[in-house]
Amino acid sequence: MSQQVWKLVIVAEEILSKKLTKLIKEAGATGYTVNAAGGEGSRNVRSTGEPSVSHTLSNVKIEVLTGTRELADKITREIEAKYYADYSIITYIYPVEALRDHKF
Amino acid sequence: MSEFVTLFVQQLQSPTLGFLIGGIVVASLGSQLAIPDSIYKFISFFLLIKIGLTGGIAIRNSNPTEIFLPALAAVLIGIVIVFISRWTLGRLPGIKVQDAVATGGLFGAVSGSTLAAVLPGLDAAKVPYEAWTAALYPFMDIPALVTAIVVASVYLSKKTGQAEKVEIWPIIKESLQSSAVTALLMGVALGILTRPEPVYESFFNPLFKGFLSVLMIIMGMEAAQRMNELRKVAQWFAIYALIAPILHGFIAFGLGLIIHKITGFSIGGAVVLAVIAASSSDISGPPTLRAGIPSANPSAYIGASTAIGTPVAIAICIPLFIGIAEMMLGR
Repeated sequence: MSQQVWKLVIVAEEILSKKLTKLIKEAGATGYTVNAAGGEGSRNVRSTGEPSVSHTLSNVKIEVLTGTRELADKITREIEAKYYADYSIITYIYPVEALRDHKF
Repeated sequence: MSEFVTLFVQQLQSPTLGFLIGGIVVASLGSQLAIPDSIYKFISFFLLIKIGLTGGIAIRNSNPTEIFLPALAAVLIGIVIVFISRWTLGRLPGIKVQDAVATGGLFGAVSGSTLAAVLPGLDAAKVPYEAWTAALYPFMDIPALVTAIVVASVYLSKKTGQAEKVEIWPIIKESLQSSAVTALLMGVALGILTRPEPVYESFFNPLFKGFLSVLMIIMGMEAAQRMNELRKVAQWFAIYALIAPILHGFIAFGLGLIIHKITGFSIGGAVVLAVIAASSSDISGPPTLRAGIPSANPSAYIGASTAIGTPVAIAICIPLFIGIAEMMLGR
């Protein structure tokens, strides 16, 4: 019925959204989900962007389900190498049960 | 001189400035008033397409070669502004060069809302200008952003010893594809190629000033909110943001007057050029710079531009240059 998979969550600046989803697809993940996000971190209070003239200070939360831990780690390593130094970004992972097991 | 003061005060009481100051005051008082993002986006689209249409219709009925010298001046100003920031702000103690260059890029780039605010001001003061001057926007905007990203990359690669080649075309492409420049250029194209006068007269023209005043409230609220951002960075950014729009405006106004002597470019046109130079980008510039100069601190350049640069450009530079133009026209 269900399958043990990994859920990788990336909270990042909205302007990285396209680059991150491209990276995720190229790494071999089958899909992802993107939400608008807001909150506070070490770099700054990050607004959800209303009324925000420029989206430069908005955030997104990207969730990726991967069948293996290796794939999730690979995505994390690539993000770390490219974006950790200059951008507000955090990543975390946890095991979840996917209900449509054939998809991953 | 007293006449000039009277003209300046009259400008301060115009609806544009009143609404801007209103926005700053309510946001500073912690008001819950919020204008949805989508409304803001629609209004800036509307204003820029209207300005584009006006310009396009004007170009259709004028000699297209007239735009050459003012466009060249716009390109030069966009580039020079970045270098001014690099060699003034960038040399101050405690300021990172890439932050100074990014700030210069944003101040060289152009604000659609400031451009939208100067045109009705000139109309109200009955200072004539060529309607196509609004089409100068991308000629200053794009060179400023490209120069900032190139200068920052050259500086950073020298510092780290790793030479990274900067791709210029993607920056130009991104600027052209930005919502502000797209709306403006689409308006210009529609104005030249089609006959938009019926919708222009019945829809775009009558709603322009009303939408502009709503946009001014949003810009004021945004400015007040970004002040918090600016407080976290060095005070030099605030001082730069106070002086730079006025200085850039005078450089552009001077160039505009030289072109006025050579080709008969109107004094009102020189005012538009000066205000375009005084304005700093608030829509399209920040994401381009964030991607192009990732190590620069966005709180520094966005805070400087939105919290101080835009209010100074709208509240001081617009009345200042319109006042000077009125004096020169002998009113």
